This record gives sequence, C-alpha cells and structure tokens, in this order.
Amino acid sequence: MGPTLYRKKGPLIAFLLPAFGFLILFLYYPFLQNILNSFSDITGLGSAAKGFNDPWYVNYTTLFTDPKLRTALRNTVLLTLCTVICQVGIALILALLVDSIRVGAQLFRTLYFFPIVISATALGLMFNLIFLFNGGMLNQLLSNLGIITENIDWKDPDHFLFTMFAPVMWQYVGFYFVILVTGLNNISQDLYEAAALDGCTGLNRVRYVTLPLLRNVLCTCLVLAITGALKVFDLPWVMFGAGMPQDRGWLTGTYMYDQTFNRGNVDYGSAIAILIVVLGVLFSNVANRVFKTRDDI
Amino acid sequence: MKKITPAKAGTYVVLTFWALTTLYPFVWVILNSFREKGLIRKDSFSIPIPGNGFTMGNYEKAMERFDFSNAYLNSLIVSIAVTIAVVVIAGFAAYGLVRYRFRLRGLCYSLIMAGMMFPVFSTIIPVFRMEAAWGIASSGNRWLSLLAVILPQIAGNLCFAIIVLMGFIESVPMELEESAYMDGCHVFQVYFHIIIPAAKSSFATVAIFSFLWSYNDLFTQNFFLRTPKEKTITLMLNEISSQAGVDYGLMAASVVLIVVPVLIVYILLQKHIIKGLTAGAIKG
Amino acid sequence: MKKNRLLAITLASALTLGLLAGCGSGNQTGGSGGGTPAGSGVELNVVTSYGGDDGNRKQYEAAVASYEAATGNTILDASASSNEEWKAKVLTDFQTGTEPDVLFFFTNADAEPFIQAGKVVDVATIRAAYPDYAGNMRDSMMAVASDGKTYAVPSSGFWENMFVNTKVLSDCGVAVPGPDYTWDQFLADCETIKAKGYAPIACSLFEIPHYWFEFCVMNNGTLENQLDLPASADDAAGQKWAAALNDIKDLYERGFFPVNTLTATDAETVQLFGDGEAAFLIDGSWKVNYFVDNYPDSLSDYAISYVPAKGERKASEAIGGISMGYFITKKAWDDPTKQAAAVDFVKHMTSDEVMSTFVTTEVTALKNGASPAGLNALQQAAADANANITGVIGAVQDTVSSECKTDLFANVQNVVTGKMSAADAINSAIALN
Repeated sequence: MGPTLYRKKGPLIAFLLPAFGFLILFLYYPFLQNILNSFSDITGLGSAAKGFNDPWYVNYTTLFTDPKLRTALRNTVLLTLCTVICQVGIALILALLVDSIRVGAQLFRTLYFFPIVISATALGLMFNLIFLFNGGMLNQLLSNLGIITENIDWKDPDHFLFTMFAPVMWQYVGFYFVILVTGLNNISQDLYEAAALDGCTGLNRVRYVTLPLLRNVLCTCLVLAITGALKVFDLPWVMFGAGMPQDRGWLTGTYMYDQTFNRGNVDYGSAIAILIVVLGVLFSNVANRVFKTRDDI
Repeated sequence: MKKITPAKAGTYVVLTFWALTTLYPFVWVILNSFREKGLIRKDSFSIPIPGNGFTMGNYEKAMERFDFSNAYLNSLIVSIAVTIAVVVIAGFAAYGLVRYRFRLRGLCYSLIMAGMMFPVFSTIIPVFRMEAAWGIASSGNRWLSLLAVILPQIAGNLCFAIIVLMGFIESVPMELEESAYMDGCHVFQVYFHIIIPAAKSSFATVAIFSFLWSYNDLFTQNFFLRTPKEKTITLMLNEISSQAGVDYGLMAASVVLIVVPVLIVYILLQKHIIKGLTAGAIKG
Repeated sequence: MKKNRLLAITLASALTLGLLAGCGSGNQTGGSGGGTPAGSGVELNVVTSYGGDDGNRKQYEAAVASYEAATGNTILDASASSNEEWKAKVLTDFQTGTEPDVLFFFTNADAEPFIQAGKVVDVATIRAAYPDYAGNMRDSMMAVASDGKTYAVPSSGFWENMFVNTKVLSDCGVAVPGPDYTWDQFLADCETIKAKGYAPIACSLFEIPHYWFEFCVMNNGTLENQLDLPASADDAAGQKWAAALNDIKDLYERGFFPVNTLTATDAETVQLFGDGEAAFLIDGSWKVNYFVDNYPDSLSDYAISYVPAKGERKASEAIGGISMGYFITKKAWDDPTKQAAAVDFVKHMTSDEVMSTFVTTEVTALKNGASPAGLNALQQAAADANANITGVIGAVQDTVSSECKTDLFANVQNVVTGKMSAADAINSAIALN
C-alpha cells in the first residue's frame, strides 16, 4: 500500500511543470531539431537545411566507417573506465578515510573540493603551463632532478593519454568526493554503533555496513561518471585542440564539436551527438541494472 | 585519548599527499603570476622576491585592459539567478518524481537521464534562434542578454540537480511525511517542513555545483554575450589568454584573478557549505 | 522551519518577477528603438573582427572613439577575433534577423549567404543617395560578389612573406636571404642552422601549416596559375598541390621543423622564433605588430626577407591582397534613423586618415595610398622588402570553402608522418569544396 499522502495526484502537476517546461523548451525541443538535422543536409552552422540527405540515413552509416570516430570511441571508453575506476575509486577511498578521522577532516574536505571551483578554461591554461614542452613545470622538475636530459613532449603519441586523462581525473575526484562524503554523512551513527556492538569494525564495517548503504549514492556517481566522460570537452579541447596528436587524441565530445563548429558539418555532428546520448543512456542503464538494488525505476 | 596507530598515520599520509597534489599547482600558478616575463620557463620553482624577478606587471596589464568589477557583477548575476532557479525547480521535480507513483514516471526519469547527456553544442543553435525570435538574444540590451544565458543554463543544470536530489530524497524515511499528513499538513507544507530540512545537505550540494558550472561555463556565455559591457569574468579570462599568446605571466595572473573571488566566496561560506554537507540530515 | 519556507517562497517569487521584468524591459527596448528622434545620438550595432587578439584592436578602438566624439552617436561594438565560430555566429545572426547595422567581414565566398539573401546593401545603391560613399577607394580593387555587384568597402589588406631572425642567422654564418633566394640554398642553410642546434623553421604543422602550403603551391607552379583549383589530385593543379604537400613532408623528414611541431601551438613556435631559437617564420603582415608589442627591445633582430623559390617562381613573388571590408546591412539602410549614421561610420572607418592608422606596410584600395606615421625598425624592414616584391597574388586557400580548407590542413600532419598520401589528402579536401 502506498502512503495516502501521495494518492491525490493534483499537486504533482505543480511539482513537475516548471522543470519539464524548462527542459522541453531548452533541451528536448532543441534536441528534436538536432535529430532532424542529423538526417538533413546542412553545410554551415548558420545555414538552414537544404533538404534531406541522400540516402537520409547516410550520417549513421558513416558513423560505422569513420576511423576518427572509432579512435574517439576507443579513447572515450578508456576514459570512462579510468573515470569509473580512478575517479570514483580514489574519491571513495578519500571519502572513507576522511570519514574515519576527526582531526583535520574539515580541512581535507575543504581542500579536495578545490579543483572543482575552478573553470576548465583556467585549468586548461594551468595544465598547459605544467605540461609545456619548453620550460613547463614537469619538464623543469624532471630535468632539475636529473631524471631527463631532453625535454619530453607530453602531447606526443607516447604520452598524450596520460597528459589528457590525468587533469580530467584530478579535477573531478573532488566532485565525487563531495557527493560520497554527503552520502556517508547521511548514514545514521546508530547503525555504526549497532555494528560496533556486533563486533563489526574497521574494514569489515566498511564492507558490510558502509558500502551497502552507500550503494545508491555510488550508483549515482557511476552514472554521472559515465555521462561525464562521454561529454568531456573543455579540458581536452583547451589542451589538445583538434585531435592532437595526429588524429589519435579525439574524444567523442571534442570530435563532435570539431565537426559542428570547425568543419561546418552540422548534420554529421548532430548524428554524433545522438550517438553520445544513446551510448550514455545504454551505459548508465547497465550501471543501474548492475548496481542499483531497487528495481522500481 | 587514543594513541596514534600505524593505520591512522597511514590515513593521514594518504590524505595529505592528495591534498598536496590539489594545492601545489595553484601555489605554482600564484607564484608565477608575480614573476617577470621570460623567467617562468627558466626558473619557475623559486619564490619571486623583489629584485629577483618579482613584478606586479602581470596584474597591472590584466587590470588596465578590462573592466573587472563589471565582469564580476555580470558573472554573479547570472550564476546566482541560475542557482536559485535550479534549486527551486529541481527540488520540486525530484520530490514529485520520488514520492508519486504515476504512469509516466519511468518515462520522465529516462527523459531526465537522457537530458543529462545532451551535449550543449547540439542544442545551442536552436536555442539561440528561439531566443532571438523572442527578442532576448542579440538584442544589444545587457539585461536581456544575461537572461538569454540564464535560461538555457537553468535547463542545462536541471537534470543533474534532479538526479542528485532524487537520490537523497529517496533515503528520507516516509513515516514522518505520513504522520505530518495525518496531522493535517498539505503536500507543499510537507515538502517545505520535512523534505527540505531533511535533505538540506543535498540542496546545498546542488546549489554549489549549479553556481560553479554556471560561473565557469564558457561556451554558452561566449555564444550569447558579445558586447563588452555584457562580458562575464570567464569570457574576460578567455579573451586575455587569447591575447596573451605566450605571455605566461599574464596568463597566470588572469587565472588567479578569475579564481580568487570564487575562492574567497568558498572560504567565507566554507563553514556553511561543510555544515550543509555534513548536517547529517537523518538523525536518529 | 518557518524561515526556510519563507526563504524558498521569496526566492521563487523573486525569480518569477525577474523573468517578468526581463520580458517587460524587452518590449520597451523594442518600442523605443524605432522612435528615437533623429539627431539625438543614434545607437549603431557594429560587428568586426578587430576584437580579441587582433593586432589592430587598439587602432580600431581609437577610430570608434573618434567617430563617437565627432557625431554624438554611440557604437554598440560586439567585435571578436576572427575564427570559424565567429563566422558561424555572424551568419546565424543574419538568419535569425539579429544582424548588426554595420559589419566588417570577409568579402570572399564567406559573405555569399547574406549577399544572396539580400541582407546587405550594395555600394551602387548607397552611392545613389550618398555620391561620395567609398569615393576614396579604387573601384577596381573592390571585391565583386557572385552577382556582379560590389557590397563591401575594403579596409587594409595583407601580405605574407618570410620573417627571419637575423641574430640566429649571423650566429650560424648564414646570410640574410635576398630576393633571389633558392630552395636548394634554403635547404643547405637549414642544414647549417640545424647543426648549430637551432630549429630552422618556426612552424606548428598541427595548427598553422597554411603559410607553407600556400608558398609551396606557388613554388610548384607560377604566379599566374596560383589560383587554379584542382578537380582531383590527378589534374595539373592537383599534382601541383600534391608536390607542395610533399615539399613540406621533405622539410619535416629532414627535421627542419621544431621537434614538437605536431603538438605545439602556433604561439609556441612563434615564441621560438621571437626568443631566437628558430631562424625562419612565414607569416602575415599582422604579425609585425605582434613583435612590436611583445619584443619592443629586439626589433632589429628580425627582418622581413623572401620565401625561397623553386622552379618558375621568383623569391620576390609573394601572397597578398585585401580580404575584408565594411558592409551596411539592409536593416540599417531601411531604418531612417540609422541610415546616415551607418554610412558616416563606414566613411569614417575607411577615410584616408583612419586607414593610415591601421596600415603600415599593407596594400590598400585607397586612391591616394595610406600615409602611416613613422615606421619602426621592423616595419621599415617590411617596407624595404615590399619594395623588391615583383608580383603579388591572392591566396588560393581563400577561394575554397572553409570545410575544404580545414580538412586539407588537418591532414597535413598525416601526410608528413606518412599516414596518408598527398593525393588522398587532396581528394578528401576537394570533395568538400
């Protein structure tokens, strides 16, 4: 039996209308246009469609044969994996550790949140200075320490994955940290005390009490990490631009932007956008299936 | 008092290490924003002192070109409006979606999930055309232009906010609401008296992220804000950095200038933010 | 609890009011725009590319200020720096009816969408009412659109040529190239410079390969057939382009570009040149002011020289022309309050006096020529080099669509690393034209 309070559906309209009003006007309607665009022939950002493509689905067949898109997908999947494992993983460890101490917990919470506060543009400029070939922070540091004699080109095919992923990881650890810490704080202290009475402490407590209770929050983190990785754009774009190095550095986000805004290939860009959405929904559904206990959604 | 165990010491070492990686790049940038041009690429680790590469020139150069106070004002107007709207609207929607059972609920949820994945690049042009038709985009009027940024930013942050809030409202035990209802409370009273206080921390989280994303969102701002008096601080940084080329000192100084106000706000509000985050909503 | 509720309600109503107020003021602006009494200061919306990092931004801002002071009109300036996103924004504005009153834009194929849509007014129509409009310009040098009419009043032009770092050259014992510089001599010089530990050529093949492409095309053809477009990689023009790409590949394989040319930005490689770590740089006239601003103390270390020649081309032949100009939109022309102000603004911006502040060594369409005041060392070097130039032609890359251009230059990195053949790169690009 559902609670009587929520049987009358009248107020529901008032709750949902503002949100869906905004979403329909500024998100769904434009995205419908985007779907239409993916079947049309559009040669410039400012220009109207010249009619439908011939055949109308040609952009979708191109998706399967485009080697740059394949590179982008491979990099993005890799990034997604790294995000899930490293970002959420590190954030979880840090959150659990901070939750276990008293002295300085506030300080650490404050510090970890730091990178999120700063815009990707500013961070991109900063990391460009750090990874600069000629006199960047890393190359200076390594040569001062005598580890290298010649500057390392951090953006060349041997190093670019690290150079591209590390800043993204670093930036968002704090983000998941905050969400997880909030989740941890919502776990009632009584439960811990009850667990302690049963002799469940330390790692066991983490495993049998904390993690199961954190499951829904973790699941939210996973979904956010997946969708975030598919869309990630600013930092790689500021640091790498169009597919550096040698078309190996594409991500779905940067490739879509490049096709739409630099190549004027608006209809193909639209098709990539749809691919991003489809993959995102797919992946996050899988994550939900696997991790979420409740199946009523 | 307990004594320090090895586990505890290890915990602190790990936490401190991560804190350093978080902090050091900023310290490095701040130091170098005071360094004379050309020295950054040779010796970026020492502390610049007067007479040895110290200069205020990078800041003077950045300040002389731009009307910073106006830009900060624009940024704050946009971000505060977006934050308030997102918290209010998303709170309602999340509550409705969590507590009510109705036929289209699954669809609504999927729509919100999908909405989170729409890249802003694919929706910006239709939005621009729509707003131009309404007369708010490209009108040359500063306040209308800011509104033209605020509206799509609200929509862009809503999905995330709803998802996060849903997660937390779900974990609020329903018994309280039921008994409040028995006492004659209306649904809206239940929402304001029970749900909001209980999920306060997550509302704070959502507010912080909405504010930051709006403040830092270069792309939308760049599309709608064009005349100098409309420019926000993020746009200004972008402009400076494109003009700076390889003037790394100027770049470092502009990074500091854009980050400092956020940091001040963050440090001032930090107590409340942390309180909000740790307010252990569900006591007992 | 009560406080929270109050707060939430206050916020919600504040927001609603804010939205309503926004709409309200929108109507007011719309209403008052048409009713401004003449003579009381007109507001003109202007878009140019003199924003951001443009080398002439200061000159542009000064010229706008002097127009405002002289007429009492106000310029609402929404200038940005020129790139594909900016072009797209301008074109979108025309589509949505939010175009500016006066636009400074490219006069080539980029302008065709709004010319064909009848959104800008041609010079002949304007002259019927204002006979002296663009009277100081040579009509023969004004860009002609596909319909045979002239729409834009040309501003300053550009040249592209080779900058050399004389300090690096003298350290390597290499003479500053003259107007008879040959490709073989150039290769030998590069070898010497490389052996000394400098990067011979400052260029980011990732970001800005297009100067080298343009000159290499000319090196494999002539001034006269520079603008021939290939239909495929196999025809004469196609083979010329392929040979040009392979010349760049040859330079890359010899290691004459900086080590990180495929990952560096243009700003980084230009800095190599500026700091005396690289010897040669092909760039445009707009770069002169960059060195004046950033290296004021070492201007005499740089000179403008000549791009080495191969085959029939002479090193004294270079790229140049006028690619941008001022348009008056139909919207402003049909608005009786704005028409005269817009015409005056364009006249002011293209007057001999104002143009002379923009121009140092560039081509203009001015009948009397520009008279820039006092050249510095580098500008003088450019003027000296220009005096020896025997032929100038526009850039072939300006005649193709921007999709074609973007694709071709994005593939340069794949051609030089052997991932793609020059012919494939050309076919791929031409398919997009």
